[in-house]
Amino acid sequence: MNKKNNKKNFKTPEGYFEGFSDRLLDRMSDTKGNQESSLLPKSDGFMLPDGYFDSLNKNIQEKLNDEVPKVITLNRWHKFYYYAAAAVAAIVLLTIGIRTNVSEEQTFEGLAKTEIEDYFNNTDLGLSSYEIAEVISVDELEISDIMDNKIEAENIIDYLDNSIENIEELNLTDYEY
Amino acid sequence: MIAEETLLNELKQLETQAKAFEVLVNTYKERLYWHIRRIVLNHDDTDDVLQNTFIKVFKNIAGFKGDSKLYSWMYRIATNEALTFLKKKSNKLGISNLELQDKIVSNLQADVYFEGDEIQLKLQKAIATLPEKQKLVFNMKYYQEMKYEEISEILNTSVGGLKASYHLAVKKVETYLKGD
Repeated sequence: MNKKNNKKNFKTPEGYFEGFSDRLLDRMSDTKGNQESSLLPKSDGFMLPDGYFDSLNKNIQEKLNDEVPKVITLNRWHKFYYYAAAAVAAIVLLTIGIRTNVSEEQTFEGLAKTEIEDYFNNTDLGLSSYEIAEVISVDELEISDIMDNKIEAENIIDYLDNSIENIEELNLTDYEY
Repeated sequence: MIAEETLLNELKQLETQAKAFEVLVNTYKERLYWHIRRIVLNHDDTDDVLQNTFIKVFKNIAGFKGDSKLYSWMYRIATNEALTFLKKKSNKLGISNLELQDKIVSNLQADVYFEGDEIQLKLQKAIATLPEKQKLVFNMKYYQEMKYEEISEILNTSVGGLKASYHLAVKKVETYLKGD
């Protein structure tokens, strides 16, 4: 018996594989077949108020009318008052603006430390830790710059001991328990 | 039913616009209502979203180019309005979309416009666990009995992808219902 049973011995109907995925998907999503054996209820229990659809058209029209902005016609005197009010407001704003600029110039020293911290905490600077590392040299950096509490070697060993299954595998030398 | 093309022309002309809009609302109000209701679940929210949908349709009809069918375009607006409504609601409450879905389904028990029994409530809980796309496909296919070609035009997804999504959704819902 020829064990090399090659493809030539079996045949498939013409175009079988071309339409295969479509037929499979159709069978998978055959709603009739699914629903007959399904636990799914056909009605969903949703109700709506009586006569809701009868008044819908009217409600939409009312909402549309409300959205059209009202046009207020201005007569000459009104115009004068609006211009006068605008001029007074502009003068007041300019005066306040100039005085503020003169007396309160923002300086870096004037910023509270918490404000700077908040800025860095809440602003996405778009810098990765690698990019920050490129700017700040390791020689200039002390562990105390980023941490308030000093970490003792003992704490590190304790941490490793608790979180690693076999601390021996780390091949640490010169450590003491 | 008035032909879509005629309706569209009348909607774009000022003299015939009001009457044509009334026809448009009457033609599609029920279908769009149930489409939105199955996304937001609560009647009052559905009413808000449905009215906003028709207002958007009215305001943007002049820009409708006719690349897709009018009803597909309206369904798309309704879907977007309903999903945006849910997103805004979850943002306002400071909870995730999934938590909001849980909350809405739990509220159904006290909803006067929900008269579902235990199995129907459980079905809503099951649907709430589906990803957004599967949920939409499930509702449109199972309850609204829409054709895949129609859903494809509305959701801008291939028919094959929709069939797979629907199959997955049905299986997940069935598994959920069989549970406990």
